[in-house]
Amino acid sequence: MKTTNLSFDKVAISVLLILLALVGITIFIGENRGVIARVNLTQENEAVSPYQKIQITFSESVNTEMAFDLITLNPVHEGYLEWADERTLYFVPLKPFALNTNYTLTISAGVITSNGDEIKKSKSWNFHVREPMIAYMLTDANQSGVWAIDLNGNEPKRLTSEDIKVLSFDAAGNGDFVVFTTLNENGGVDLWKVNRDGSKQSLLLDCEFDRCTVPSISPDAKYVAYSRESAGPTPDIPYGSPRVWLLNLQTGANNPVYADQQVLGYNPSWSPDSKKLISFDGLADLINLYDLSTNQQFVFPSNTGGPVVWSPDSTKFMFTIIRQTQQGFRSQVRLADLTLNETTTLIGENDDQDYGYYSLAWSSLEERAVMGFRLSESQPAQVLWMFNPARLDGILVADEPEYTYNAPQWDPWGSTLVFQQFRLKGVNAPEIGYWQDGFDAPKFLTNGILPKWLP
Amino acid sequence: MQNTTSPTRPSKNLIIIIAVAVLIITASSMIPATFFSWLADRLNVFATVFLGIFVEAVPYLLLGTLASGLVEVFLDRDQIARWVSKRPVAASVSGSLMGIIFPVCECGVVPLTRRLFKKGLPLSAGISFLLAAPVLNPIVLFSTASAFGWADMLFWRFFLSFIIAVTVGLVFSIEKDSSNVLQTVLDSHEHTHSYKDLSVIEKIRQAFLITVDEFFDMGRYLVLGTTLAAALQTFISQSTLLAIGSGPILSVLVMLTLAVLLSICSTVDSFVALGFVGTFSFGSILSFLVFGPMVDIKSVMMYTQVFKRRAVFYIVAIPLMMSMLAGLLFNYLGK
Repeated sequence: MKTTNLSFDKVAISVLLILLALVGITIFIGENRGVIARVNLTQENEAVSPYQKIQITFSESVNTEMAFDLITLNPVHEGYLEWADERTLYFVPLKPFALNTNYTLTISAGVITSNGDEIKKSKSWNFHVREPMIAYMLTDANQSGVWAIDLNGNEPKRLTSEDIKVLSFDAAGNGDFVVFTTLNENGGVDLWKVNRDGSKQSLLLDCEFDRCTVPSISPDAKYVAYSRESAGPTPDIPYGSPRVWLLNLQTGANNPVYADQQVLGYNPSWSPDSKKLISFDGLADLINLYDLSTNQQFVFPSNTGGPVVWSPDSTKFMFTIIRQTQQGFRSQVRLADLTLNETTTLIGENDDQDYGYYSLAWSSLEERAVMGFRLSESQPAQVLWMFNPARLDGILVADEPEYTYNAPQWDPWGSTLVFQQFRLKGVNAPEIGYWQDGFDAPKFLTNGILPKWLP
Repeated sequence: MQNTTSPTRPSKNLIIIIAVAVLIITASSMIPATFFSWLADRLNVFATVFLGIFVEAVPYLLLGTLASGLVEVFLDRDQIARWVSKRPVAASVSGSLMGIIFPVCECGVVPLTRRLFKKGLPLSAGISFLLAAPVLNPIVLFSTASAFGWADMLFWRFFLSFIIAVTVGLVFSIEKDSSNVLQTVLDSHEHTHSYKDLSVIEKIRQAFLITVDEFFDMGRYLVLGTTLAAALQTFISQSTLLAIGSGPILSVLVMLTLAVLLSICSTVDSFVALGFVGTFSFGSILSFLVFGPMVDIKSVMMYTQVFKRRAVFYIVAIPLMMSMLAGLLFNYLGK
């Protein structure tokens, strides 16, 4: 019995000694490897979103200032470094990474912790921006889905499944996913989410009997603002007025933006810095602006509910109103400057006729915006005019006489414009067209409605 | 001869008591008042931590002892012998996976294992069950998944717990005479009752009686372990530990220490670990999640009632070294 006992102890102690040796070897090898940095780029020369946040994770807590000195990006790109914690760092681009450019992120060798631990070997990662897509809706009597297409003539791809009838959608600014709305079995409208490649379609928010519509994803892809109409207590009682709600995509928190139930809201839209949310109150004829960083609320009179478009630096926005003058109703474009705290009429102050200003889009370039209007009161067709909001000079980019254009959307670089176009004569399917720098005339892209960039 | 009564004199004990009291009063008058407020504050913390751990653990101990009672009455040695292989590897693997049938956490697993040993469960299977069941069970699967998602942490926690449990089980399979590692009262060759002839109602009554006995028997060690854990948590500040916990080695050591000190039930420890994400590395959090359910202060106190000291040492030391190794490997080479 003693022999058995001894062998058990021998085995147990041997195992412990082996483990101890393995721990020692691991520490020896690990310490000689130094601090290891990893980046969220999974493959060599990975194609990424133009707004890709680059995550760098160190194997241990590092000194932030020392880390800054060791990280370089070539070619240089405007952005900032943000620490999530002592081991995780993000490079957040302030402008989209350029198309057709190979970027190299390098973490150089050097001391990176206050204890003197170092990165022993320089390491580089290459990436480039992926080909941008355009998401749009295709509807007919039998179906309504979200599709995506590129500008290179490749076949469009359906993103939402065929059994789902999409009512409205929005594409994330980073191009990674789409949020869309669809009817549920209670007669309410739910929010759903699907990835840019059509994978991982899933219910985002079960609104039960309520109608959650017109989703708007914040440019940083952290929130979805949407309009919610509460169901009445019984089916015969109509839905309540729309109010703007905010769904946090990271925590799942879901709350109305305004505690005051009298503040109605529709058509929410975000400032490029994701800090300000705008919605339209059709009952009070007001644009409500809510500043998420200060929790302040501002109002701007507007009776159109039309689109609000922001300057790239999030300090100004344009919107349309309709004003009654001695000559009749006139549409005007107003410019709100938050830094000067004033709103002025930018376009249409002294128009002799109504040009029907409506569709607006401000690109990521300060000097480049686009607007839809009629060339004369007698013509139903709208043309698209690209202009500089500071100088109010520009060129017509889409003015084919047999078409009317609206819903323009700029790509992240402000160089390509997609829009809705309708052929006026005959019965025709709605089309999506696009225009790029150097084009004399717009080009047909595909049949569909509501184009949005999916970069 | 005259019978006289001696005058009443204070007893020696009384003099000592008075002297000690005078000494305490004198000493306390010299201690600054802030000390007493600090002490009162610490005692409050102690009471809160003690109740926190105890209240969390008691239901699981009760469930474990109930399972133990039911096993005693409804399972006989032949059934155990039929179900569990005598071959070391098969016994360790099956023991590690028994948590799927008996979903108990580390408080409940000890009385249940003790009962299974009495019923003739092979040593290797029992040891593997003891170490693996607090993690490898459906409740912990879902709690870990809800905290960390169906991702790496969940996989590695389960995989490593399984590997460690099987390894320790195999080491113990070398010992052919279980009486060398089990406490004498648990010698599986001892006389056991037969409940075969009892009615179901009577069997259930017997199971409850055993449950109560065992609950109070193991409960003493739960109280003792909880007191110790609460005292250590009261006087060793968690923030101090966290402050020194940077670096690939120290972070693992700190998280292993925390796993032992905090003595959190495995069903909820994922949510506590989630709070360390960002501050601590993947490897150190993983070592916390793997080692904590196997060894903490209260479970070690209970282990001493089942195993001899030498065996307890191995049950603590081998998982400790393996968890540390895993944490270090992840810190240096992995995520």
